[in-house]
Amino acid sequence: MLSLFPSNDYLLIAVILGMPLLGAFVNGVWGKQLGKDAVRVMALTAVGLSFAASVAAFVALSQLADQQKGEHVKLVWNAWEWMNTNGGAGGVTVPIDVKFSIDALSGVMMLIVTGVGFLIHLYATSYMADDEGFARFFAYLNLFIFSMLVLLLGDNLPILFVGWEGVGLCSYLLIGFWYEHAPNAAAGKKAFIANRVGDFGLICGMFLLVHYTGALDWNGIANGASSLLHTGEQARVHVWPLGGGQYTGVLSFLQPKSPVTISAATAVGLALLLGCTGKSAQIPLYVWLPDAMAGPTPVSALIHAATMVTAGIYLICRLSFVFVLSPFVMVLIACVGAATALFAATIALVQNDIKKVLAYSTVSQLGFMFLGVGVGAFTAGFFHVFTHAFFKACLFLGAGSVIHAMHARIHDGDPSQDLRNMGGLRRWMPLTHWTFAGATAAIIGLPLTSGFFSKDEILYRAFVNRTVNPAAAALQGRVYAPPAWIGTALYATAVAAAVLTAFYMCRLYFLTFWGEFRGWTVGRPSLLSKHEVAAHDDHGHGEHHEDLSTPGHPPHESPWQMTVPLIILATFSVFAGWLNPGFGLSRQPMEHWLEPVFKEATEGAVVYAGGHDAAWAEHMTLPLALGGIGAFLVGTLLAWWMYVSQSGAPAKRAAEAQPALHRLLLDKWRIDELYDATVIAAVDSLAETAAAFDRAIVDGILARLTALVVAASGTVLRAFQSGVVHVYAAMMVVGLAATGWFFAVPHANATVVDSGNNDYLVTAAPGVGYAYRWDADSDGKPEKSDFGADSTLKLHLEPGRSQTVHLEVKNSFGLIRSKSIHVARPEEPTSSL
Amino acid sequence: MIATYAPLFMLLFFAAFLASVFYVAATFLGGQKKPNPGKQAPFECGSESSGGRHLKLSVKFYLTAILFVVFDIEAVFVYPWAIHFRALGWLGLAEMLGFLAVLVVALVYVWRKGALEWET
Amino acid sequence: MNIALALSPLLVVALGALLLMLAEAFSPRQGGLALGAATVLFVGAAVAGGVWMYGIERLPEAASLAPWLLLDRFGLFFDMLLCLGGGLAALLAGGYLVEHGIERGEFYVLILFATLGAMILASSGDAVTLFLGLETMSLGAYAMTAFRRASPRAAEGALKYFLLGSFAAAILIYGFALLYGATGHTDLAGIGATAATARTPLLVVGAVLVIVGVAFKVSAVPFHAWTPDAYEGAPTPATTFMAVAVKAGAFALLLRVLLIALGDASWTSWAAGWPPVVATLAVLTMTVANLIAGRQESVKRMLAYSSIAHAGYALVGVTALMRDPTQAGASVLFYLLSYTVSTAGAFGALILCGSHGREAVSYEDLSGLGRRHPAAALAFSLFLLSLAGIPPTAGFFGKWFVFKAAIDGGLYWLAILGFVNSVIGAYYYLRVMVYMYMREPAAGAPVALPMRSGYVTAALLVSALFVLALGLVPTRAIEVAVRAATLGAG
Repeated sequence: MLSLFPSNDYLLIAVILGMPLLGAFVNGVWGKQLGKDAVRVMALTAVGLSFAASVAAFVALSQLADQQKGEHVKLVWNAWEWMNTNGGAGGVTVPIDVKFSIDALSGVMMLIVTGVGFLIHLYATSYMADDEGFARFFAYLNLFIFSMLVLLLGDNLPILFVGWEGVGLCSYLLIGFWYEHAPNAAAGKKAFIANRVGDFGLICGMFLLVHYTGALDWNGIANGASSLLHTGEQARVHVWPLGGGQYTGVLSFLQPKSPVTISAATAVGLALLLGCTGKSAQIPLYVWLPDAMAGPTPVSALIHAATMVTAGIYLICRLSFVFVLSPFVMVLIACVGAATALFAATIALVQNDIKKVLAYSTVSQLGFMFLGVGVGAFTAGFFHVFTHAFFKACLFLGAGSVIHAMHARIHDGDPSQDLRNMGGLRRWMPLTHWTFAGATAAIIGLPLTSGFFSKDEILYRAFVNRTVNPAAAALQGRVYAPPAWIGTALYATAVAAAVLTAFYMCRLYFLTFWGEFRGWTVGRPSLLSKHEVAAHDDHGHGEHHEDLSTPGHPPHESPWQMTVPLIILATFSVFAGWLNPGFGLSRQPMEHWLEPVFKEATEGAVVYAGGHDAAWAEHMTLPLALGGIGAFLVGTLLAWWMYVSQSGAPAKRAAEAQPALHRLLLDKWRIDELYDATVIAAVDSLAETAAAFDRAIVDGILARLTALVVAASGTVLRAFQSGVVHVYAAMMVVGLAATGWFFAVPHANATVVDSGNNDYLVTAAPGVGYAYRWDADSDGKPEKSDFGADSTLKLHLEPGRSQTVHLEVKNSFGLIRSKSIHVARPEEPTSSL
Repeated sequence: MIATYAPLFMLLFFAAFLASVFYVAATFLGGQKKPNPGKQAPFECGSESSGGRHLKLSVKFYLTAILFVVFDIEAVFVYPWAIHFRALGWLGLAEMLGFLAVLVVALVYVWRKGALEWET
Repeated sequence: MNIALALSPLLVVALGALLLMLAEAFSPRQGGLALGAATVLFVGAAVAGGVWMYGIERLPEAASLAPWLLLDRFGLFFDMLLCLGGGLAALLAGGYLVEHGIERGEFYVLILFATLGAMILASSGDAVTLFLGLETMSLGAYAMTAFRRASPRAAEGALKYFLLGSFAAAILIYGFALLYGATGHTDLAGIGATAATARTPLLVVGAVLVIVGVAFKVSAVPFHAWTPDAYEGAPTPATTFMAVAVKAGAFALLLRVLLIALGDASWTSWAAGWPPVVATLAVLTMTVANLIAGRQESVKRMLAYSSIAHAGYALVGVTALMRDPTQAGASVLFYLLSYTVSTAGAFGALILCGSHGREAVSYEDLSGLGRRHPAAALAFSLFLLSLAGIPPTAGFFGKWFVFKAAIDGGLYWLAILGFVNSVIGAYYYLRVMVYMYMREPAAGAPVALPMRSGYVTAALLVSALFVLALGLVPTRAIEVAVRAATLGAG
């Protein structure tokens, strides 16, 4: 393998990326002519070959890693030079190449995307078999795989951004796939907007990075990262006054005593974090993900659970060496993660739609991952990404299988996803049931399953880890130190979220598969409640002519294309944890594998809390694990008691005892309504205002006013009174007058530049034919009585002192304007963020 | 600036003043106005006027007029060249021929398109 | 002979136009004129490219035409750009005019002459030649707008365009007259050289009038009002030509005027020079056009407003000229190139979607196109994505460079406003795609039936090629733009 493709020109990446793209193109353009069989073969072959190539690349990478122990090895393919841009404080040329690389981190993700992607493609060939848009669906799905691979394998931020936008586009298209339903289209729009807000952050982060580090590729950013932290002011971003400078004139009251600054590292971290919260559905941008479940279930499994939504965590891991430079941002990431984990879990407690529960569970699990990476446990956070991909894909596909079965009976979207109509399905759907049970065990943290290992590691790390500024010594004490209680608080929040997770997942599981089937009467109003049902063998879906007065046949197991992926995913859900078992077990392959990637970030930045040492951390392993196991036990037993042993009665009582709280949870804390009332309403009213202005001012006043003027003087224009052309001319005249006014009036303006040595240079803005007169101390007596060409004034000011300069400007029309400029030398900034 | 143009402004002012004086004086000194419908009618010639105010003229008039203007301007260009014919030399001749060629092409085009035919 | 070589792009187009005019007059049947016009223009572009590669610096005689014609790389860049835009419009006309039963040879001749005018405009360094080029270009555009003689809408649009256009031309020429009065120069370089010392108000008034006159030609808000009417009334290939070539020519004029005549430090002052004026125009243009475009029900009118909005983005780059003329100028040139191919493609796709005298006009006409005609919808989507500025298309880099120029010039707020606007813009571009891919036409409603025309297909292929090439490998084009923008004064 290695001999075939050299590691610095690893052409196999072209195959990994190219196959899904080819599949998307063929299916998208000729899909309808080709027919479903050909589309199926094309889509599966594309992803399958991509997966095979990924495995080959992964093997090659591991061989290379074995050869160069402890090194951060990469397989690189530099396709072509995309562009280059000048950038950075140093004005260096920043090449941006179309360049892809596989390293330990992206290699694992690549395997997940192509592997789980292939299984979900297989699943979808059956799930979507009867859909009209079969070819379109697979074109989008293949395009998604391509975009996701671009995101993962891109060797620099712009390429990652291309993939980032690509997956967003596919997600948008697939959410709205069944666009005949208005809510689906609205959900697509919502996802689009939330992601755009996030993208804005990512773009800002890119600009800041290229400005401070002079690079956009991973190696370049790593090399230049140190310049994000400097004692000097050039590495600090002025938040207030924005961009530095001073407020003068009427705005001078806004000038703070000492400017508010944050380090460039913090600024970059915050901007990137905004991008990550958008893509990974964290507070405050999580709102789109639950609605995104309007798309077909395989899409929910692939895009909105297993792969795309973890892109935010991937980006944090990828740029871990940037994030750790700002402990403040790290703590913020952890807090956002913990808060989202708990918040989303509370909503999931009461939802009745099977996919909604899983959606909020995804948001919650993503919160756990954020928590993990936020406390500097990048391996733990990423390991949860890895395990979550399996068990959440399995859960969604299982839910899809259930919905598929329910839909065959009910023929209606919403009731067939409602937990209240299910129950007892384990009798008819054994394979779905057992795989679902396995995945549920993993997510609730049943000891020794994959979710147990990955989640427990996060809880443990949240307590024992602390991030510190790696350059603390050089920053002379201006460093941010998180409060001492933060670890305990994060741990407690996470444990609470874990309890809720166990509870709502067991609730989902019990309501779906245990008890009696409650769906007999749905859509069959003539039936009364209980019926004995004989098992039917020959059933299918799409029988719209069935007799609605009989119970109909029971739900059925799904075909092999759907169950085989379930079995494989469930197997991984249960056993994949052994790739990185905690509890001081000596073999931790994942930790070892990823070590070179995160070594740079964690060294000196991640320490044990409270100044303790490794022995203490070792010592804390078991007590802290009890929290996770306790959470699992409490949640599971509570759910068992409520929904199996008492058949749901306590849940009803609780809901009746606290109707307001129940309602609030059911309405997802009404955050959507809050956003509607504030952000969306603001944008809407802006557009309305513009339209109203157009109607009222332009058509109403301007048209009439000019009609008057024109009627009075009109000779030429009157002949062409087509109704509006004089308004057009009037607008031009107004524009001309405004421009003329701007140039006719002199503009007294000055910039104040710190020229060092406690001197300021006050420079009057130039203008055509301008002459200036200065009064440095504003005593009413100008230095020179005549206006002259001298446009600068030098001023000496000690720190904390201020002075007002009076400037008069005369233009060629003879008009004079004056301005007082308040110059103050602020105290040194003190912020430690 | 004022000093430079002051005589001009004075002249303008004086002209406007004189004109208005004559205009106002004429209304008093001249014949008295006694308007009646007959006098107000356009063309007091005794016959009823008919048709709208806008008369549609055939586009041929405009075409002919514009062609006339084009070749008139051509002559204006040719004239100074002819005066400096020797000084401008062969290059000047070539340039003028090019200019005329363009006009000839235009003329041929107009001809072929039938713009010169009055009767169609 | 070298001078003829330096002038060859202009000569090719001029001779081609004359020949085509004769051919049109003598040929009994009128097929193939579109091909002839497109060939002339693409040959013109190729010749300009050849002169570019040979190196205009190696033709010292070219300077002998200065200041009337500045035969520099800036001019050559615009020669290529304008010939490309004009050629695409001619190809589109080849399909459109036949399909809608208004095939008459004059149209192609008009395209050629108007392109020639725009090329002269882009190369001129003197108020006289500048005005000559401007009027040649504009008269052709007026006539093309009114080309559909039977349509009252076309007549209305053309008349408005003509009236306001003459108004603006008068303002412009009056401005130059005052500048001449103030400085004693009609050439831009001469005006620029005396600007620093002249202390007369005439200079300021003249400059204001020139700026306003040019702002009309680039249809910046509030001088834009003619644009939607004229664009909507004109046959779509004429609209394409106006949105692409006329606008590019106007930007060439703007750049020459601002860089050469008003390039002095006191003119480029952020406090009292043209930058705040241009910045205000940019913000107004982007915002107003985007907000109104979002509310249009006709795709053609939406694209008209979109072309206004794009002038706003380009003006962002123009504003940045005050700090770094080369980089900012290059960003504007690249923007114009990316805008040209994207807009020509988008209008072309719209043309493709209409047939048999019926244009695809409304969003509803396009619903379900993605299902019925995937290739047409795919092409349309590509150009819309480029207009929206989504990578990896040409439009992304266009926006990237103008915003970057603004940021490098310290105009953060302008870049942010531009970015916010491109987000708003994405909304209505994607709306078309929503209709194409996510809507089904109402039962019995008329739907767009794409035409079959080799001309239109060829134009779309060329545009798509450029859109993708500029998006995937823009490096070469950027180098060209930077070299073109490095223009000396005069």
